[in-house]
Amino acid sequence: MPSWSNFQPFIPIGLAAGGVYALSGVGMVVLYRATGVLNLAFGAIGAMGALIAWSMINTWHVPAGIAYVACILFGGVATLLYGMVFGRLLAARDPLVKAAATLGLALLMLGVMNRLWPAQVTRSITLPTDNTAFTFGDASVDWTQVIAVGFGVVMTVGTAIFLRVTKIGTAMRALADDREITATLGVPVRRVEAAAWFGSGLLAGAAGLLLADLVTLASDGLTFIVIFTLSAALIARLRSLTVTFVAAMVIGLVDNLITPINSITNFRDMTPFVLAIAALLFFSRERQYSFARGGIR
Amino acid sequence: MADSNVATRSRSSLRAAARLSRRDAINLLVVAGGVLFVLLALPSLLTPYWVVTSTSAVTFMIVALGLGLLVGRVGMISLGQGAVLALGAWVGARLLFATALPYPIVLVMTGLITMVLGTMIGLPALRVSGLYLALVTLMLAGAITVVLVDTNFPNGGSGFLGYADQSTGTPPSIRRPSIAESDPAFFRYVVIVALLMFLLALWHIRGKPGRAWAAIRQSEPAALAAGVNVTVYKMWAFALASFVTGIAGALLGSASHVLYAYTFPTSQSIVLFAVVLMGGVYTLFGAVIAGVLLQVIPGAFTVWGIPSEWATILFGVGVLQVLTTAPAGIAHQLPSDLARLGRFLFGVARRRIPAGGRAP
Amino acid sequence: MIEIKDLTVRFGGVTPLAEMTLTFESGTCGLIGPNGAGKTTFFNVLSGFVKPHAGSVRAFGEDLLSMPHFRRARWGLRRTFQTEQAIEELSIYENVAMVHEHSKRGRAARREEVLAAIEFVGLDGDPATRVGTLGARDRRLVEVARAVVGEPRLVLLDEPAAGLPDEETEHLSSVIRAIPGHTGALVILVDHDMSLVSACCGVTAVLDFGIVIASGPTAEVLRDANVMRAYLGTEELV
Repeated sequence: MPSWSNFQPFIPIGLAAGGVYALSGVGMVVLYRATGVLNLAFGAIGAMGALIAWSMINTWHVPAGIAYVACILFGGVATLLYGMVFGRLLAARDPLVKAAATLGLALLMLGVMNRLWPAQVTRSITLPTDNTAFTFGDASVDWTQVIAVGFGVVMTVGTAIFLRVTKIGTAMRALADDREITATLGVPVRRVEAAAWFGSGLLAGAAGLLLADLVTLASDGLTFIVIFTLSAALIARLRSLTVTFVAAMVIGLVDNLITPINSITNFRDMTPFVLAIAALLFFSRERQYSFARGGIR
Repeated sequence: MADSNVATRSRSSLRAAARLSRRDAINLLVVAGGVLFVLLALPSLLTPYWVVTSTSAVTFMIVALGLGLLVGRVGMISLGQGAVLALGAWVGARLLFATALPYPIVLVMTGLITMVLGTMIGLPALRVSGLYLALVTLMLAGAITVVLVDTNFPNGGSGFLGYADQSTGTPPSIRRPSIAESDPAFFRYVVIVALLMFLLALWHIRGKPGRAWAAIRQSEPAALAAGVNVTVYKMWAFALASFVTGIAGALLGSASHVLYAYTFPTSQSIVLFAVVLMGGVYTLFGAVIAGVLLQVIPGAFTVWGIPSEWATILFGVGVLQVLTTAPAGIAHQLPSDLARLGRFLFGVARRRIPAGGRAP
Repeated sequence: MIEIKDLTVRFGGVTPLAEMTLTFESGTCGLIGPNGAGKTTFFNVLSGFVKPHAGSVRAFGEDLLSMPHFRRARWGLRRTFQTEQAIEELSIYENVAMVHEHSKRGRAARREEVLAAIEFVGLDGDPATRVGTLGARDRRLVEVARAVVGEPRLVLLDEPAAGLPDEETEHLSSVIRAIPGHTGALVILVDHDMSLVSACCGVTAVLDFGIVIASGPTAEVLRDANVMRAYLGTEELV
């Protein structure tokens, strides 16, 4: 068993990853609550934003700051467009259908990304905050990691406050409870949904940018990092923002703290699966029935 | 409620049964003709490249059959069938290297082991909502990829994993049945196995489990009120899908002789789901179309020099199209399109022939 | 015979059933009450979809609540739903047969008994017809046929006549009346249609806010002042 000092360097890495999973998880849960859509293309959208930013910096020599903003905006706009077209077409359908449709978007984006940015080329995005580091105990911490954790905390708290305090946030919470009643109460459902799509998309773009720096800039890898976020969202039963945040931090930490343990280090990325299964075993003690039709209707 | 009334009713229902079997007979005839053509004529008509491609197409029809059963009959979405397939391929290769058992027995054993493993993983999700099953199976797809990168596929090495690190030379190949060593013979073998799997599925669908699944898909409370143990029948469907997928995995190993972890990426599970939706989940014919979509289209793209990413893009668009406009998939659209084409051609032909020339 | 004792259901602060105590002997029995009185909750307890907070239900001497929900159909519990739940993609025959194959009855007599049940409810036409293509009346009848097949002992009908025109309700009423004689089962009918309840039920109980406020011969119960008040809903009761 490795000693405490072996683990220390992985604490900031784990916390940073957890922070990004948390802000992604918040984006996914809020969108799910407001529109009923669990966006499985969340990772693919962030990946494409990051790749666009990479091209802007390395091919077109655009100032990096503008490229970063473009990445985040791409997330917002692409998600909003999908929401305006397919979100509406599928509005009346089962959540399972809505989630399945986002897989179509994920595949579409994966194909486009692999076509435009062939996987053979190694790419990376290095945020300027990587270069300023400080030590904390035995661990070296850079400012990107601090930003990731801070952003995760700020987004969770900020979104929670937003949903409670603002008019549009209240409308989102009402939509989650009952769409039809909310619509009859005179809430501009479409505008509220558009806000949820756009906001969640911005988070997808930001998460893509941070993960491209912290983890990897590869289309497949970034697309399926969504699994870590999904696990956190599932543990929170797609409802609670606080639980999403805590679960995301735990997943990020556990996944990275396993790294120095040689016997299981290769299996560390099974963490989201194992934790989700544990959560499901816990949930399945109670059982509810729904009268909803199953399948892809 | 007079006796004579009952007798008339029974007679009419017997007539109904007879009519049903007449339709079945036509279907049977068409399918039997198709299978005979595929078995006897097709391998000699195709180039070696297309024999190999068709073999994988038929293998993936079995995978699509399992997934289509889950989605179309029971209403459960599994996004991890690619992972279950990889599991089956691993178990199949391990057994084929480790034992000299007859090939069909290895197939059945692989199916059963995959069934147990797959069901154990699916079990916790079966009792909660359908969305959770989709999510946890997607995570399973990711997790299996992680495991495979570490364990690799058996290649005749020793130990539990049966893997030996060989950087040079050709690795030993996963064996095929002794009666089907050549590519065309193995193609025929796979077609027959696929046929048996389709019959197994049909037998379930037409029987007690099929009726229970239909009830579950419509409404779980109604199914429970009718005495259906919902968890058991869901598990049954999951087990059956894992069984046939495991068998497909074993065939896949024998088809390519060597298996690599990178041929089972996480995205394969998603692509599988996409083609199964596009093919159509409400008929068994949909699984046939899904197999063709998954293997023949990329195969043709390779021949035509079209980049393979276009296939992924096509499948992505296909999912969106099916879910928004045609939930029954191509298997449903195709017959009605053909019928429309037939009517159109018939109309054209009739216009050309003078009306008086037609027989009364 | 079914004996319900002190049956209480609570959801958070709401109490849809409060110490419900009631006995039905045999035949077709009515259960009426205004919307939200707890009728469907009561059926859901019997079906096993809702766990009661307290109380017991003994049906024909057996403790119904201790059975797992899917076992209750095998025991002889049948139910129709407020929103009709006949299975669309199966044929009429298969719809009824699937209940039969989860009952105690053997396979040998299945075809005959299923056809007899379809005959009993008066569904004419081809039993091989897909239920998805049927109209509202026929779907209701399929559900009733599902309820009478395979030795039922307790049949729960939840607003079977909802949305049906009068002449079709009349046919349904004659079918419901015939169920106890045909199968020996005890039938509990929930409906808002008072003419249907008076036509079918010898005895009737009235639920209001989860409390049994009257029970007895149907004609007397319907004349009861408390019942009138519950339906007109102006004054506080009990």
